[in-house]
Amino acid sequence: MAAYHVVMVHFPIALWLVAGLAIFIRAVSDGPVAQTFDRALPTLLVGGLVFGAVAWLLGLSVWPWPTLSATPMGRNHMLLASWSWAYFALLTLLRLRHGTAIWQGLNRLIMAGLAGIGVVFVGITGTLGGHLVGNYTEVGQVLRLLGWEIYSTFYVPNLMLAVIVAVSVVMVVLGVLGRNAAQRTS
Amino acid sequence: MRSPKSLLIIALFGGTLLSAWLTHGTGVVRDDPERNIAIPADLTVPLQVQAAYNNTTMFFRYRWPAQKPGIFHDVLRYQDGEWIVEGKAVPGSQPDGLHEDRAAMMLDDGSVPEFGRYGGYVTIGDGLAGLTDEAPEEVTKYLPQTRNRLGAWDDKADDAKLAAQREAGYFLDLWHWRGGRSNPLGEADDQSVADERGGDAGKGAYSTNWDKDLNQPKVMFVSGHDTLKWDDIKAGNVTQDNTYALIPAATVPYDQNAGWQNGDVIPRRILTPGEGSRGNIGVVGEGRWTDGYWDVTLSRALDTGSPADDKILKDQGIYQVAFAIHRNATGGRWHYVSLPENLGLGRSGGITATPFQGTNPTWGDEWADVTLFYPGQVTWPMLNNANAHAGAEYIQRGVPVAFRHSPEQLANYGIEQEFKPQIKRQWLLTLLAGILLIAAFGFALNATLSTRKGA
Repeated sequence: MAAYHVVMVHFPIALWLVAGLAIFIRAVSDGPVAQTFDRALPTLLVGGLVFGAVAWLLGLSVWPWPTLSATPMGRNHMLLASWSWAYFALLTLLRLRHGTAIWQGLNRLIMAGLAGIGVVFVGITGTLGGHLVGNYTEVGQVLRLLGWEIYSTFYVPNLMLAVIVAVSVVMVVLGVLGRNAAQRTS
Repeated sequence: MRSPKSLLIIALFGGTLLSAWLTHGTGVVRDDPERNIAIPADLTVPLQVQAAYNNTTMFFRYRWPAQKPGIFHDVLRYQDGEWIVEGKAVPGSQPDGLHEDRAAMMLDDGSVPEFGRYGGYVTIGDGLAGLTDEAPEEVTKYLPQTRNRLGAWDDKADDAKLAAQREAGYFLDLWHWRGGRSNPLGEADDQSVADERGGDAGKGAYSTNWDKDLNQPKVMFVSGHDTLKWDDIKAGNVTQDNTYALIPAATVPYDQNAGWQNGDVIPRRILTPGEGSRGNIGVVGEGRWTDGYWDVTLSRALDTGSPADDKILKDQGIYQVAFAIHRNATGGRWHYVSLPENLGLGRSGGITATPFQGTNPTWGDEWADVTLFYPGQVTWPMLNNANAHAGAEYIQRGVPVAFRHSPEQLANYGIEQEFKPQIKRQWLLTLLAGILLIAAFGFALNATLSTRKGA
């Protein structure tokens, strides 16, 4: 299945990177080209999610789970692939639910920032996949200089896990409060 | 930006990502002597190698950094009428600074083809002493096919098969220089690895300085009871310029009435020149530690006349070598090792031995630079297990380790293997926590964007 995974991952990578580009262009322009990109954005994002899910599942079948989960690079690749998919699901949700409202005011800068993070996630995922099959890039060296030896498993300590859970709860509470406030004022 | 909640949510998300980045890789890897785990501070060490040969003799010169010279292995300390053994092996560095420095080189002529591709990894079977899951009896390095099943330390091939393997050259020659137990005699220990790591035929250079019948040391220094003091040894004040080893010229039979005082020390090893095939390797000049570096030159006959103990070397031959050192008062598996290198005698290889005329080579400034790395706990059976090592299929295809892995990667991999279940659990939790964070971020952002939409 390795070859099919390699073929399939090109689709979400291409769709998500083009989606990222579309968001950047729309964030800085209200012109007709930017408007056209925005109209294509839901298709790009949804397509990326669908193909991404297929590629993720195919990736799970490249090696047996014990092998994949025993290999530092395999673990890292799977972690970033999962985060990338989740992250672009977030972007997709925002675009589908809020439509063109996400380009109002400074929201567009938020979208550009979010897209930037997503592109970084996908870029690292692809880089790790390349290393797994022996196609090395200097991106690995950049990450090493930034403090992550990519041949070591990426994990955080228990305290950081607790912080993540706590921050997640806080964000959900803030979201609920924000929604309630919106309902009161509408 | 109109909503302070949105700002806060984005700041929380970004801050949490940054914190995860800054704290990643911590909280799991730590020394655990109960599990035989001690991670060295430095994961790699540079080694420089030169090689030369004349019509009869092979020479290797090694140079590597060490903070201080490990010239003691273990000692006997006098305390209140008793002799106490100091320097027993522990995981990692011995706290009193005992355990000798060492340099070792495994050498093959192609008879163990896996060695040329994977180096010392082929000698790490299951159950080896020092592993977390070490066997109940002491098991040393062994080659895979000396066992009836891969890695089965207790299922050795029968004697006839082992003898035939030895005859066919299925063993690794091992040149083993010891800073305390051979260097003072100007020797290295000539050993081999086959069904175990053992000495060549003959007698080794060291024996234990203890008379079990009389319950006292066998010998002491000619220079008297106060030749060595425990405090000086612990402080690292004893150098190679002092009398520190029980070589024949420095030794007399033990006298219990020699005026022993608390803190007096006698080495626990008696050194006498090796005999037979085991004594084939000599030190040229003096293995010497100076200004933070060991500089050791070893020599051995190209043809020792012992083809069942040694790899016979020939002009224009290509051989495979892998190196290891012990430093910082370590023993056992707490060494640094290299990937395999080709050695060419008069032919280009990773290390090229230069032919010369005369008795001793004149070394130039050209060195072969080798990166040594801490290997952790990576066994040959594990590497060949497709459920544990994604590269197992490449080993079956004969792809050399250096094609996919660097020493730095392998050091990290070795450490991860020492904490395999813990790191796997932490990784899985990190993956799930990240998804939770993204989901919460998405929910919160969606809700606050709704706020604006409705405002």
